[in-house]
Amino acid sequence: MDYSTQSEFRHQPKVRMRGTPMDSSEPSLLFDDTSTGGQPSGHGRQDKAPLGYAGQTLLSDPMSNLAMAYGSSLASQGKEMVDKNLDRFIPISKLKYYFAVDTVYVGKKLGLLVFPYMHENWEVSYQQDTPVAPRFDINAPDLYIPAMGFITYILVAGLALGTQNRFSPEILGMQASSALVWLIIEVLATLLSLYLVTVNTDLTTIDLVAFAGYKYVGMIIGVLAGLLFGKMGYYLTLLWCCASIFVFMIRTLRLKILSEAAAEGVLVRGAKNQLRMYLTMAIAAAQPVFMYWLTFHLVR
Amino acid sequence: MAFTLYSLIQTAILCTNAIAVLHEERFLSKIGWGADQGIGGFGDEPGIKAQLLNLIRSVRTVMRVPLIIVNSVCIVLLLLFG
Repeated sequence: MDYSTQSEFRHQPKVRMRGTPMDSSEPSLLFDDTSTGGQPSGHGRQDKAPLGYAGQTLLSDPMSNLAMAYGSSLASQGKEMVDKNLDRFIPISKLKYYFAVDTVYVGKKLGLLVFPYMHENWEVSYQQDTPVAPRFDINAPDLYIPAMGFITYILVAGLALGTQNRFSPEILGMQASSALVWLIIEVLATLLSLYLVTVNTDLTTIDLVAFAGYKYVGMIIGVLAGLLFGKMGYYLTLLWCCASIFVFMIRTLRLKILSEAAAEGVLVRGAKNQLRMYLTMAIAAAQPVFMYWLTFHLVR
Repeated sequence: MAFTLYSLIQTAILCTNAIAVLHEERFLSKIGWGADQGIGGFGDEPGIKAQLLNLIRSVRTVMRVPLIIVNSVCIVLLLLFG
Protein backbone atom coordinates (compact mmCIF):
# COMPACT_ATOMS: atom_id res chain seq x y z
CA MET A 1 0.00 0.00 0.00
CA ASP A 2 2.77 2.40 0.89
CA TYR A 3 4.60 1.74 -2.33
CA SER A 4 1.54 2.34 -4.44
CA THR A 5 0.73 5.64 -2.74
CA GLN A 6 4.30 6.75 -3.10
CA SER A 7 4.31 5.94 -6.76
CA GLU A 8 1.05 7.81 -7.15
CA PHE A 9 2.51 10.90 -5.61
CA ARG A 10 5.47 10.71 -7.90
CA HIS A 11 3.28 10.26 -10.92
CA GLN A 12 0.82 12.93 -10.08
CA PRO A 13 2.85 16.01 -11.03
CA LYS A 14 3.52 14.49 -14.42
CA VAL A 15 -0.12 13.83 -14.94
CA ARG A 16 -1.01 17.37 -13.94
CA MET A 17 1.39 18.96 -16.35
CA ARG A 18 0.31 16.82 -19.21
CA GLY A 19 -3.28 16.97 -18.19
CA THR A 20 -3.91 20.58 -19.05
CA PRO A 21 -3.40 20.53 -22.82
CA MET A 22 -5.83 17.68 -22.94
CA ASP A 23 -8.66 19.64 -21.48
CA SER A 24 -10.22 20.56 -24.77
CA SER A 25 -10.09 17.08 -26.20
CA GLU A 26 -10.92 14.95 -23.16
CA PRO A 27 -13.48 16.59 -20.88
CA SER A 28 -13.58 13.62 -18.55
CA LEU A 29 -9.97 14.20 -17.55
CA LEU A 30 -10.29 17.91 -16.77
CA PHE A 31 -9.37 17.42 -13.13
CA ASP A 32 -6.89 15.03 -11.65
CA ASP A 33 -8.70 12.24 -9.93
CA THR A 34 -7.07 12.65 -6.55
CA SER A 35 -10.07 11.25 -4.68
CA THR A 36 -9.28 7.67 -5.66
CA GLY A 37 -6.66 6.83 -3.04
CA GLY A 38 -5.28 3.47 -4.05
CA GLN A 39 -6.24 2.55 -7.58
CA PRO A 40 -3.22 1.85 -9.65
CA SER A 41 -5.37 0.61 -12.52
CA GLY A 42 -7.21 3.87 -12.90
CA HIS A 43 -3.93 5.59 -12.47
CA GLY A 44 -2.37 3.42 -15.15
CA ARG A 45 -5.14 4.49 -17.50
CA GLN A 46 -4.40 8.10 -16.76
CA ASP A 47 -0.72 7.46 -17.16
CA LYS A 48 -1.11 5.91 -20.58
CA ALA A 49 -3.59 8.46 -21.84
CA PRO A 50 -1.28 11.50 -21.90
CA LEU A 51 1.43 9.38 -23.57
CA GLY A 52 -1.06 8.30 -26.17
CA TYR A 53 -2.36 11.78 -26.80
CA ALA A 54 1.01 13.50 -26.62
CA GLY A 55 1.41 13.39 -30.36
CA GLN A 56 -2.04 14.79 -30.88
CA THR A 57 -1.59 17.70 -28.45
CA LEU A 58 1.27 18.92 -30.58
CA LEU A 59 -0.83 19.13 -33.73
CA SER A 60 -3.89 19.82 -31.65
CA ASP A 61 -7.45 19.88 -32.75
CA PRO A 62 -7.51 22.83 -35.16
CA MET A 63 -11.08 23.70 -34.19
CA SER A 64 -10.29 23.93 -30.52
CA ASN A 65 -7.18 25.91 -31.27
CA LEU A 66 -9.17 28.36 -33.33
CA ALA A 67 -11.80 28.54 -30.66
CA MET A 68 -9.20 29.24 -27.99
CA ALA A 69 -7.52 31.94 -30.03
CA TYR A 70 -10.85 33.56 -30.84
CA GLY A 71 -11.96 33.38 -27.24
CA SER A 72 -8.78 34.97 -25.95
CA SER A 73 -8.92 37.77 -28.49
CA LEU A 74 -12.57 38.39 -27.62
CA ALA A 75 -11.69 38.47 -23.95
CA SER A 76 -8.92 40.99 -24.48
CA GLN A 77 -11.21 43.13 -26.64
CA GLY A 78 -13.88 43.05 -23.98
CA LYS A 79 -11.38 43.98 -21.32
CA GLU A 80 -10.18 46.92 -23.42
CA MET A 81 -13.71 48.15 -23.93
CA VAL A 82 -14.57 47.84 -20.25
CA ASP A 83 -11.39 49.67 -19.29
CA LYS A 84 -12.05 52.48 -21.74
CA ASN A 85 -15.64 52.96 -20.65
CA LEU A 86 -14.82 52.69 -16.98
CA ASP A 87 -12.11 55.25 -17.39
CA ARG A 88 -14.64 57.68 -18.74
CA PHE A 89 -16.78 57.52 -15.59
CA ILE A 90 -14.22 56.86 -12.89
CA PRO A 91 -10.80 58.29 -13.71
CA ILE A 92 -8.74 55.30 -12.68
CA SER A 93 -5.36 56.83 -13.46
CA LYS A 94 -6.18 59.84 -11.30
CA LEU A 95 -7.34 57.56 -8.52
CA LYS A 96 -4.00 55.78 -8.54
CA TYR A 97 -2.30 59.03 -7.56
CA TYR A 98 -4.35 59.20 -4.38
CA PHE A 99 -3.33 55.74 -3.29
CA ALA A 100 0.40 56.21 -3.80
CA VAL A 101 1.17 56.23 -0.11
CA ASP A 102 3.60 54.49 2.16
CA THR A 103 3.75 53.73 5.85
CA VAL A 104 5.79 56.79 6.80
CA TYR A 105 3.29 59.09 5.11
CA VAL A 106 0.32 57.41 6.77
CA GLY A 107 1.94 57.63 10.18
CA LYS A 108 2.84 61.28 9.80
CA LYS A 109 -0.54 62.17 8.40
CA LEU A 110 -2.39 60.47 11.22
CA GLY A 111 -0.23 62.36 13.68
CA LEU A 112 -0.99 65.57 11.81
CA LEU A 113 -4.72 64.89 11.94
CA VAL A 114 -4.64 64.55 15.70
CA PHE A 115 -2.06 67.25 16.43
CA PRO A 116 -1.79 69.87 13.68
CA TYR A 117 -0.58 72.69 15.89
CA MET A 118 3.17 72.34 15.38
CA HIS A 119 3.20 71.93 11.62
CA GLU A 120 4.40 75.04 9.83
CA ASN A 121 4.48 74.53 6.10
CA TRP A 122 1.08 73.51 4.76
CA GLU A 123 1.70 74.03 1.08
CA VAL A 124 1.48 71.22 -1.39
CA SER A 125 4.66 70.99 -3.38
CA TYR A 126 4.33 70.74 -7.12
CA GLN A 127 6.50 69.10 -9.70
CA GLN A 128 6.11 70.77 -13.08
CA ASP A 129 2.45 71.60 -12.70
CA THR A 130 1.38 68.28 -11.30
CA PRO A 131 1.13 67.85 -7.55
CA VAL A 132 3.67 65.51 -6.04
CA ALA A 133 2.48 62.07 -5.00
CA PRO A 134 1.41 61.79 -1.36
CA ARG A 135 4.37 59.55 -0.69
CA PHE A 136 6.71 62.51 -1.01
CA ASP A 137 4.63 65.33 0.40
CA ILE A 138 2.77 65.14 3.65
CA ASN A 139 0.42 67.96 2.73
CA ALA A 140 -1.01 66.22 -0.32
CA PRO A 141 -4.46 64.68 0.11
CA ASP A 142 -4.81 60.95 -0.28
CA LEU A 143 -7.68 58.51 -0.39
CA TYR A 144 -6.08 55.69 1.53
CA ILE A 145 -6.69 57.12 4.99
CA PRO A 146 -10.32 58.11 4.28
CA ALA A 147 -11.12 54.72 2.75
CA MET A 148 -9.52 52.78 5.58
CA GLY A 149 -11.04 55.15 8.10
CA PHE A 150 -14.52 54.60 6.71
CA ILE A 151 -14.23 50.83 6.88
CA THR A 152 -12.72 50.97 10.36
CA TYR A 153 -15.49 53.31 11.49
CA ILE A 154 -18.11 50.80 10.40
CA LEU A 155 -16.29 47.99 12.20
CA VAL A 156 -15.87 50.07 15.36
CA ALA A 157 -19.56 51.01 15.20
CA GLY A 158 -20.41 47.34 15.02
CA LEU A 159 -18.14 46.68 17.99
CA ALA A 160 -19.69 49.51 20.00
CA LEU A 161 -23.20 48.33 19.26
CA GLY A 162 -22.19 44.80 20.09
CA THR A 163 -21.00 45.73 23.56
CA GLN A 164 -24.42 47.23 24.19
CA ASN A 165 -26.26 44.18 22.86
CA ARG A 166 -27.77 46.23 20.09
CA PHE A 167 -25.99 44.49 17.26
CA SER A 168 -27.48 42.76 14.26
CA PRO A 169 -25.90 42.33 10.81
CA GLU A 170 -28.39 44.69 9.19
CA ILE A 171 -27.24 47.49 11.44
CA LEU A 172 -23.75 47.34 9.90
CA GLY A 173 -25.22 47.90 6.48
CA MET A 174 -27.40 50.72 7.78
CA GLN A 175 -24.41 52.43 9.42
CA ALA A 176 -22.37 52.07 6.27
CA SER A 177 -24.99 53.50 3.94
CA SER A 178 -25.86 56.23 6.42
CA ALA A 179 -22.26 57.41 6.71
CA LEU A 180 -21.81 57.14 2.95
CA VAL A 181 -24.93 59.21 2.30
CA TRP A 182 -23.80 61.91 4.72
CA LEU A 183 -20.40 61.96 3.01
CA ILE A 184 -22.02 62.38 -0.40
CA ILE A 185 -24.29 65.13 0.89
CA GLU A 186 -21.33 66.94 2.43
CA VAL A 187 -19.27 66.73 -0.75
CA LEU A 188 -22.21 67.94 -2.87
CA ALA A 189 -22.87 70.83 -0.51
CA THR A 190 -19.20 71.81 -0.61
CA LEU A 191 -19.17 71.62 -4.41
CA LEU A 192 -22.30 73.74 -4.62
CA SER A 193 -20.96 76.40 -2.29
CA LEU A 194 -17.62 76.46 -4.10
CA TYR A 195 -19.49 76.99 -7.37
CA LEU A 196 -21.64 79.76 -5.96
CA VAL A 197 -18.71 81.69 -4.56
CA THR A 198 -16.83 81.33 -7.89
CA VAL A 199 -13.59 80.24 -6.39
CA ASN A 200 -10.76 79.63 -8.83
CA THR A 201 -9.23 76.66 -7.19
CA ASP A 202 -7.65 73.44 -8.27
CA LEU A 203 -9.60 71.43 -5.74
CA THR A 204 -11.04 68.44 -7.53
CA THR A 205 -14.02 66.42 -6.39
CA ILE A 206 -11.74 63.63 -5.25
CA ASP A 207 -9.79 66.13 -3.15
CA LEU A 208 -13.02 67.12 -1.44
CA VAL A 209 -13.89 63.49 -0.81
CA ALA A 210 -10.44 63.01 0.71
CA PHE A 211 -10.79 66.04 2.99
CA ALA A 212 -14.27 65.00 4.04
CA GLY A 213 -13.01 61.53 4.82
CA TYR A 214 -10.29 62.66 7.19
CA LYS A 215 -12.79 63.13 9.99
CA TYR A 216 -13.32 59.40 10.30
CA VAL A 217 -9.99 59.16 12.09
CA GLY A 218 -11.18 61.45 14.87
CA MET A 219 -14.50 59.66 15.05
CA ILE A 220 -12.83 56.29 15.49
CA ILE A 221 -10.56 57.60 18.25
CA GLY A 222 -13.54 59.14 19.99
CA VAL A 223 -15.66 56.00 19.89
CA LEU A 224 -12.77 53.82 21.06
CA ALA A 225 -12.11 56.18 23.94
CA GLY A 226 -15.81 56.08 24.74
CA LEU A 227 -15.72 52.29 24.81
CA LEU A 228 -12.68 52.23 27.09
CA PHE A 229 -13.35 55.16 29.40
CA GLY A 230 -17.08 55.75 29.25
CA LYS A 231 -18.93 58.88 28.31
CA MET A 232 -16.45 61.31 29.86
CA GLY A 233 -13.59 59.83 27.83
CA TYR A 234 -15.69 59.99 24.71
CA TYR A 235 -16.55 63.65 25.15
CA LEU A 236 -13.01 64.72 25.99
CA THR A 237 -11.41 62.82 23.11
CA LEU A 238 -14.08 63.97 20.70
CA LEU A 239 -13.53 67.56 21.77
CA TRP A 240 -9.81 67.24 21.16
CA CYS A 241 -10.27 65.57 17.77
CA CYS A 242 -12.90 68.11 16.71
CA ALA A 243 -10.59 70.98 17.53
CA SER A 244 -7.68 69.41 15.65
CA ILE A 245 -9.78 68.60 12.57
CA PHE A 246 -11.09 72.16 12.63
CA VAL A 247 -7.57 73.62 12.67
CA PHE A 248 -6.37 71.09 10.10
CA MET A 249 -9.16 71.90 7.66
CA ILE A 250 -8.79 75.63 8.03
CA ARG A 251 -5.05 75.54 7.52
CA THR A 252 -5.31 73.23 4.53
CA LEU A 253 -8.25 74.90 2.80
CA ARG A 254 -6.97 78.40 3.41
CA LEU A 255 -4.21 77.87 0.94
CA LYS A 256 -6.49 76.40 -1.66
CA ILE A 257 -9.53 78.66 -1.49
CA LEU A 258 -8.25 82.06 -0.47
CA SER A 259 -6.08 84.20 -2.66
CA GLU A 260 -2.36 84.19 -2.09
CA ALA A 261 -2.21 87.45 -0.22
CA ALA A 262 -4.87 86.47 2.25
CA ALA A 263 -3.36 83.06 2.73
CA GLU A 264 -0.14 84.55 3.97
CA GLY A 265 -1.94 86.23 6.81
CA VAL A 266 -2.14 89.71 5.37
CA LEU A 267 -5.57 91.13 6.01
CA VAL A 268 -7.09 91.65 2.60
CA ARG A 269 -10.27 93.64 2.61
CA GLY A 270 -12.99 93.07 0.12
CA ALA A 271 -16.26 91.27 0.11
CA LYS A 272 -14.92 88.44 -2.00
CA ASN A 273 -12.17 87.43 0.35
CA GLN A 274 -14.44 87.76 3.31
CA LEU A 275 -16.93 85.45 1.63
CA ARG A 276 -14.20 82.93 0.92
CA MET A 277 -13.03 83.05 4.53
CA TYR A 278 -16.58 82.42 5.70
CA LEU A 279 -16.82 79.52 3.29
CA THR A 280 -13.60 77.97 4.61
CA MET A 281 -14.77 78.35 8.17
CA ALA A 282 -18.16 76.88 7.33
CA ILE A 283 -16.59 73.83 5.72
CA ALA A 284 -14.26 73.38 8.67
CA ALA A 285 -17.07 73.87 11.19
CA ALA A 286 -19.22 71.27 9.49
CA GLN A 287 -16.65 68.59 10.33
CA PRO A 288 -17.11 68.57 14.13
CA VAL A 289 -20.87 68.67 13.65
CA PHE A 290 -20.74 65.56 11.49
CA MET A 291 -18.29 63.90 13.82
CA TYR A 292 -20.66 64.30 16.73
CA TRP A 293 -23.75 63.43 14.70
CA LEU A 294 -22.34 60.17 13.42
CA THR A 295 -21.00 58.88 16.72
CA PHE A 296 -23.16 60.03 19.60
CA HIS A 297 -25.63 57.20 19.23
CA LEU A 298 -22.83 54.67 19.49
CA VAL A 299 -21.68 55.59 22.97
CA ARG A 300 -24.15 55.22 25.79
CA MET B 1 -31.04 58.83 11.35
CA ALA B 2 -31.18 55.93 8.99
CA PHE B 3 -30.31 57.08 5.54
CA THR B 4 -30.05 54.71 2.66
CA LEU B 5 -28.72 55.28 -0.82
CA TYR B 6 -32.27 54.89 -2.07
CA SER B 7 -33.46 57.83 -0.01
CA LEU B 8 -30.55 59.86 -1.38
CA ILE B 9 -31.68 59.10 -4.93
CA GLN B 10 -35.23 60.04 -3.99
CA THR B 11 -34.04 63.32 -2.48
CA ALA B 12 -31.99 64.10 -5.56
CA ILE B 13 -34.90 63.46 -7.91
CA LEU B 14 -37.28 65.55 -5.80
CA CYS B 15 -34.85 68.47 -5.52
CA THR B 16 -34.07 68.47 -9.23
CA ASN B 17 -37.77 68.36 -10.01
CA ALA B 18 -38.35 71.29 -7.68
CA ILE B 19 -35.70 73.39 -9.43
CA ALA B 20 -36.88 72.45 -12.90
CA VAL B 21 -40.49 73.40 -12.13
CA LEU B 22 -39.74 77.07 -11.45
CA HIS B 23 -41.29 78.83 -14.40
CA GLU B 24 -39.30 81.55 -16.10
CA GLU B 25 -41.83 84.20 -16.93
CA ARG B 26 -44.66 83.41 -14.57
CA PHE B 27 -42.61 83.27 -11.42
CA LEU B 28 -38.93 84.04 -11.61
CA SER B 29 -39.24 87.33 -13.44
CA LYS B 30 -41.90 88.47 -11.02
CA ILE B 31 -39.56 88.14 -8.05
CA GLY B 32 -36.57 89.56 -9.82
CA TRP B 33 -34.85 86.27 -10.47
CA GLY B 34 -35.27 86.19 -14.22
CA ALA B 35 -32.48 85.08 -16.49
CA ASP B 36 -31.82 88.56 -17.78
CA GLN B 37 -31.60 90.06 -14.31
CA GLY B 38 -28.67 87.93 -13.30
CA ILE B 39 -26.02 89.22 -15.63
CA GLY B 40 -24.70 92.24 -13.79
CA GLY B 41 -21.74 93.41 -15.77
CA PHE B 42 -18.99 91.75 -17.70
CA GLY B 43 -16.32 93.23 -15.50
CA ASP B 44 -15.82 91.41 -12.29
CA GLU B 45 -16.88 87.90 -11.49
CA PRO B 46 -20.59 87.31 -11.12
CA GLY B 47 -21.97 87.49 -7.63
CA ILE B 48 -23.83 84.79 -5.80
CA LYS B 49 -27.23 85.82 -7.17
CA ALA B 50 -26.00 85.63 -10.75
CA GLN B 51 -24.50 82.20 -10.13
CA LEU B 52 -27.72 80.96 -8.58
CA LEU B 53 -29.82 82.19 -11.47
CA ASN B 54 -27.37 80.63 -13.87
CA LEU B 55 -27.62 77.36 -12.01
CA ILE B 56 -31.43 77.39 -12.08
CA ARG B 57 -31.50 78.15 -15.76
CA SER B 58 -28.96 75.47 -16.62
CA VAL B 59 -30.75 72.85 -14.53
CA ARG B 60 -33.92 73.68 -16.38
CA THR B 61 -32.26 73.40 -19.76
CA VAL B 62 -30.05 70.41 -19.20
CA MET B 63 -32.21 68.22 -17.00
CA ARG B 64 -35.54 68.67 -18.75
CA VAL B 65 -35.44 65.54 -20.90
CA PRO B 66 -33.65 63.23 -18.44
CA LEU B 67 -36.11 64.29 -15.75
CA ILE B 68 -39.01 63.34 -17.99
CA ILE B 69 -37.52 59.89 -18.45
CA VAL B 70 -36.61 59.41 -14.80
CA ASN B 71 -40.00 60.59 -13.60
CA SER B 72 -41.83 58.25 -15.96
CA VAL B 73 -39.72 55.34 -14.79
CA CYS B 74 -40.41 56.24 -11.16
CA ILE B 75 -44.14 56.49 -11.78
CA VAL B 76 -44.26 53.14 -13.51
CA LEU B 77 -42.18 51.47 -10.79
CA LEU B 78 -44.26 52.95 -8.01
CA LEU B 79 -47.46 51.86 -9.71
CA LEU B 80 -46.18 48.34 -10.17
CA PHE B 81 -44.39 47.80 -6.89
CA GLY B 82 -45.94 50.27 -4.49
